[in-house]
Amino acid sequence: MQAAKIAERILIAIPVVIGIGIIIFLIMRLTPGDPVDIMMGQAGHVSAREIELLTEQWHLNEPLHIQLGYFLRDLARGDLGTSFTKGRPVWDLIKGALPATLELALGAAIFALLLAIPIGVISAVKQNSFIDRASMTVAFFGICMPVFYLGIILMLVFSVKMGVLPTYGRISYEVMLHKVTGFYMLDSIITGNWAALGSTLKHLILPSITLGFPMAAIVARVMRSSMLEVLRNDYVVMARAKGLREFSVIVKHAMRNAMIPTVTVIGLEIGMLLGGNMIVETVFSWPGLGRLVVNSIFVRDYPLVQGVVMVYAFTFVAANLVVDILYTYINPKISI
Amino acid sequence: MKKRAWYFAVLALAVLMIGSLFAGCQPAEKEAEDYTIIVGLSQTIMTLDPANHRDRVTETVIRNIYDGLVTRKPDGTVVPEIAESWTNPDPLTWEFKIRSGIKFHNGSDLTVEDVKFTFDRVIQEGAMEGETSPRKGLMGPVTEVEIVGDDTIRFVLKKPWPILLAMLPHQQIVSKAYVEEVGSDIATKPMGCGPFKFVEGSIDERIVLERFDDYYGGSPEIPPVGPAPAKRVIFEFMPEVSTRIAALQGGDVHIIHNIPPDMVSTLEADPNVIVKTVEGTRMHMFEMNVTKPPFDDVRVRQAVNYAIDMDAIVKNVLSGYGTVVAGPLLPHGFARDPDLKPYGYDPAKAKKLLEEAGYADGFELVIDTTDELKDVVYAAASMLADVGIEATVRTWDWGVLKEQLLAGERMMCFGNWGNSTLDPSDLLVPKLRSNDRGNYSHYSNPELDALLDAAEVETDREVRKTLYYQAQAIIYEDAPWVFSYVGREIEACRSNVENWQPSTDSRINLHRVKLK
Repeated sequence: MQAAKIAERILIAIPVVIGIGIIIFLIMRLTPGDPVDIMMGQAGHVSAREIELLTEQWHLNEPLHIQLGYFLRDLARGDLGTSFTKGRPVWDLIKGALPATLELALGAAIFALLLAIPIGVISAVKQNSFIDRASMTVAFFGICMPVFYLGIILMLVFSVKMGVLPTYGRISYEVMLHKVTGFYMLDSIITGNWAALGSTLKHLILPSITLGFPMAAIVARVMRSSMLEVLRNDYVVMARAKGLREFSVIVKHAMRNAMIPTVTVIGLEIGMLLGGNMIVETVFSWPGLGRLVVNSIFVRDYPLVQGVVMVYAFTFVAANLVVDILYTYINPKISI
Repeated sequence: MKKRAWYFAVLALAVLMIGSLFAGCQPAEKEAEDYTIIVGLSQTIMTLDPANHRDRVTETVIRNIYDGLVTRKPDGTVVPEIAESWTNPDPLTWEFKIRSGIKFHNGSDLTVEDVKFTFDRVIQEGAMEGETSPRKGLMGPVTEVEIVGDDTIRFVLKKPWPILLAMLPHQQIVSKAYVEEVGSDIATKPMGCGPFKFVEGSIDERIVLERFDDYYGGSPEIPPVGPAPAKRVIFEFMPEVSTRIAALQGGDVHIIHNIPPDMVSTLEADPNVIVKTVEGTRMHMFEMNVTKPPFDDVRVRQAVNYAIDMDAIVKNVLSGYGTVVAGPLLPHGFARDPDLKPYGYDPAKAKKLLEEAGYADGFELVIDTTDELKDVVYAAASMLADVGIEATVRTWDWGVLKEQLLAGERMMCFGNWGNSTLDPSDLLVPKLRSNDRGNYSHYSNPELDALLDAAEVETDREVRKTLYYQAQAIIYEDAPWVFSYVGREIEACRSNVENWQPSTDSRINLHRVKLK
């Protein structure tokens, strides 16, 4: 039953993603700016014939509905088209960049959750204490701080001044990782290359903190308020009255219930992690989807932008589906 | 029991991860002959196929893997590379003699067949698996490439083209057999005859190259000749300038480029870093729409030239890293008239001209530009206020602005145009010939068009120079632009990098670079 419902949800995601693809298709084409002209740049020796040929090659001379027809036809064949500027299949480019983005999002999420949930719980239990005030001030700071600024500050401190962490990229070249899946942590474990694992982790630390900090701040605040709510409930009083240890009351009785609103926020935030990483990926020269799409928007690389945005949409939908499934585990009363 | 096993598994993994952090810490032993040079580039690249892009940074990487018939010295002079010598028997024919003993990275010999194939792939329509190279226009009127004997290749032109040599460094020679074998995969697995061979990497992550030990040595005119001293070079893509600078200061990369002038002082304060600059080839100018008032009056255009203190802008906004230009041509380019002097800052004269043109009270103006150039425009706008012109600045996404410029809907824009050949042809023709591709001022003057067209096909260097002198005089007087400046290219390296100089065309050639 559960499986059927999950399958249904996945199927619903398909029209959503295609719909978003069509919207992006239209937005990109309605935005002024000629991809051929931008590619040729601000320099001489561009012949009219050359412009004409490229325009034809990319079907830009055809009316909009015909172009949309080509797009949908290719999509039906599972083909996202060929990038204008890079001359390679969009899917190949996405396949290269997606693991980097997911690995970073995972790193950021782990950092955020490991930090935020204990802080949220402790702040609630010790409400109005020094720890509570201090951590909520830091959390407020985290929500306000622009990520590019945080990233550059961290880089200056830990890379330039202290020299302990690298400034850019996913892995040092020297460790010679043999790439299997594109997820470098996984690849290093599969191939038993521990130096590569170390290098990957070291490269992951600063970008993960930068990307995860705003999420940690929000999750900590939500966790704190929902814990406060739950701690006032009768069943918590009951649990204490039964003589259970305080730790057990908080972790097993209160925290589990307080997790439900928190998980909702986490699901949304994971979607945001994928969006927010355009900046973090640029700052840390992280070869992911964000960096790929930012530049392709400026140069009006229509197929590449469409493809990447569709992948974003899909991951967003998938993250929310995972959250919904998690609900049912945390609280069996909820069904998908 | 099961739970406990899980705990142990997680614990073991954590220990492993922390341990591996330190495993990665041991610095790799670097022997004198075995060093790696890492370059931080300001953008990702488009492809590794020499015939399928129009991008300078992409060409920078490709140029370390591939060589061309000719190349440029850092000062822009064209010198032989794969070609040993050349002749120009008549205006429509060029012949190049190919150096012997050149090998591709896969060990095969470079022949005239490869050279012909390379150029056919660029100039013929549909020659790249049905598609046409976006570099076709860079070969101008070259219509055919013929093999003349074992070591000579002939270019046949539709009309004379005096700048063929200046344009040729933009083409790199590929192996016919290899391209026929791998097809479009040449974009990801390049194979040339340059100083470094491709090892691994992708256009979005990093490119790793290794010394090609059988390299023929490169151009004899740029010593030292021979295989590269560096064992390995890596191109990293770092779009954010703060990251490039942090990576250089942190010692993670050896060379970076595209440094904005306001960051130079930070780098100069670092004893481990050396900043190097070279005269650039991007001409910066304010273009005025001459078809609409008030800029349809030449006096107003001249007034604006007098009203903006370009020396102050270069000194203060660009920290001195630029050269004010006198007229439309690069100060170090071909055919610049040395007798022309910059308009100079003269607000009184500007006011007088405005008064004569009927704008004694000034007028309102929007100056359009893109984000990275806005500081210059703000400075100019404040100077225009002194002569009564109330200017506001608007920054745009380039693609959006360009369409409006071409439609003639804007009044004035500030931008730049690349002129890497140092020849007036690829600056004046697209920018100022009637209705040409980059003519945002909509300037149209039959007399100038005739001069530019004549210079395009004139092969006598002195006559050509005279034609451009005349063209410059007209442009200078008619002032469709506020003649601005050429910025210096600012690059920097670690202090242990030897034998590296930034090039005027902003290429980074690592063939001769060493580490101390």
